[in-house]
Amino acid sequence: MTTAAPRSASDTREVRAAWRLSGALGILVIAAAGASLVIGRTSGGPTFGFGGPDLARIVLTEIRVPRTLLALLVGGTLGLCGAALQGLLRNPLAEPGLLGASSGAAFGAVLVFYFGLAGADSLMLPAGAVAGSLVALAALYGLAGRRGDFLTVVLAGIAINAFAAALTSLALNFAPSPYAALEILFWMLGSLADRSLAHVALALPLMVPGWLLVIAAARGLDALTLGEETAASLGLDPRRTQWLVIGGTALAVGGAVAVTGVVGFVGLVVPHLLRGRVGQHPSRLLLPSFLGGAVLTSVADVAIRLMPPGPELKLGVVTALLGAPFFLHLIVRARPAGGA
Amino acid sequence: MTLVARDVGVVYGTRVALQPVNVALERGELVALVGPNGAGKTSLLKALAGLLPYAGTVTWSGAALDSLASRARARLIAYLPQAASLHWPMTTRDLVALGRLPHRAFGAAPSEDDRAATEWALEQTETTAFAQRSVDRLSSGERARVLLARALAVRAPVLLVDEPIAALDPYHQLQVMATLRAYASDGALVVAVLHDLPLVARFCARVLLLDAGAVVDDGNPERVLNARALERHYRVEPLVTTHEGEPLILPWRRLTPR
Repeated sequence: MTTAAPRSASDTREVRAAWRLSGALGILVIAAAGASLVIGRTSGGPTFGFGGPDLARIVLTEIRVPRTLLALLVGGTLGLCGAALQGLLRNPLAEPGLLGASSGAAFGAVLVFYFGLAGADSLMLPAGAVAGSLVALAALYGLAGRRGDFLTVVLAGIAINAFAAALTSLALNFAPSPYAALEILFWMLGSLADRSLAHVALALPLMVPGWLLVIAAARGLDALTLGEETAASLGLDPRRTQWLVIGGTALAVGGAVAVTGVVGFVGLVVPHLLRGRVGQHPSRLLLPSFLGGAVLTSVADVAIRLMPPGPELKLGVVTALLGAPFFLHLIVRARPAGGA
Repeated sequence: MTLVARDVGVVYGTRVALQPVNVALERGELVALVGPNGAGKTSLLKALAGLLPYAGTVTWSGAALDSLASRARARLIAYLPQAASLHWPMTTRDLVALGRLPHRAFGAAPSEDDRAATEWALEQTETTAFAQRSVDRLSSGERARVLLARALAVRAPVLLVDEPIAALDPYHQLQVMATLRAYASDGALVVAVLHDLPLVARFCARVLLLDAGAVVDDGNPERVLNARALERHYRVEPLVTTHEGEPLILPWRRLTPR
């Protein structure tokens, strides 16, 4: 086999390229986390360092470390779940936010707020968020998942988003007091500010099993590249893959939304930017998307702190401001081929 | 080893797509499933592949396929659907390598066997030349051969293919038929749904003729694809002759629709 040697070398080169990409993103994760640990913000604008040696410990453990960890965890979750949903629906426009998972989770959490249960039991908020996210994704799957074509999925996602938003508005409408309404509204904008390690402890037990479920679907996602029938003939039941991804996303995104509110578009942008670098392989895209999501979210959160003095921007507002034009760009670019 | 279908029937809602079929298919055979559109060919093929609910039993060497784990079954039976879809523009080689999924453990790198099978499948379908090209830059005929290579790469003892040559030019139709026959001669069972009767007569030693959801004949092409059968089931009048000692069967004239 004289000819096989260079070919198999090129084969491993592609796999090695995927690992190199993850390595590079890993370094960026460390850099972004470092920046997030040393850069802070007060009402007077950005601050650097820890405000003196006696304050350092408190600033780090009470403010910067939870915020940095949550940025990495939430960003990683959104990147990973975005990549998995795109693979599952075989649609580069899929994203937890666009598909209603986030708004479903938000509505679930708002209901918990609304009935005043958030304070009673700290587990109620994430439970509400996960339930909302699960219901939204199950509805999406029921409406469009079987066929999974470009337009149906996006339209179903829009419908679910609209419905969840309407229900959330209803809850705001009947909010017991203007103060409660404002609290719900601000929470929904999505932010990493003023979170503690308790929030990390709340989200992590939901995120980790969610990630594992999504990762368990990796081979099934590769097989789905060839369509549902061929995937089944390869021994990778598409229904199993579907439920792993939907269940995993509901858990992980539910956990993320429960602690940060809605942070949109990270799950759309990150897999999209990285897909070409891993040879379009759905399974090879998962780890880089996790790391890329962590980088993008922490960088966005650091950028917020670097803004000139004034009220702090909400993370969800920033990702939406950057992500929406990107989404528009994707639609415009996909349009000539979108008819197929 | 034999693939045996016993009373295998398929029903979609209230419509009977396939009446109970009894057939035994041997390793080493290239079997053609022929018949007019809607005759139940694809339903039979999918039932053999276990891809749709069916009545009856399908066994391989006496073991019911239902009892096999999905992975063991995927190694035993490779399936190529009609007009398969491709959702991400991977390279041809990466796509063909997906045929090795049933042989690879979760997270494992491709083994030497996996690589060798992928390269072999590319060579068999004459697709090595564009192995590094993205599949969205291929013509429909090239893509059809890449998809066949994906099914061949499983190296399964049973290969079920649905209209593998419909999109191909004459050169590649002959080439794919020769590949399927060679794969069968190497000891596999190959079952192909085909519409090209001249090629069926040339390459397939055994033909199952289906009509209206039933297997109406089973045998060699000279016997099954006779003029009366084609007139009755296909509503065409054929030209039946021999060329270079092999049967030449050509649909020639349309009869009045039934």
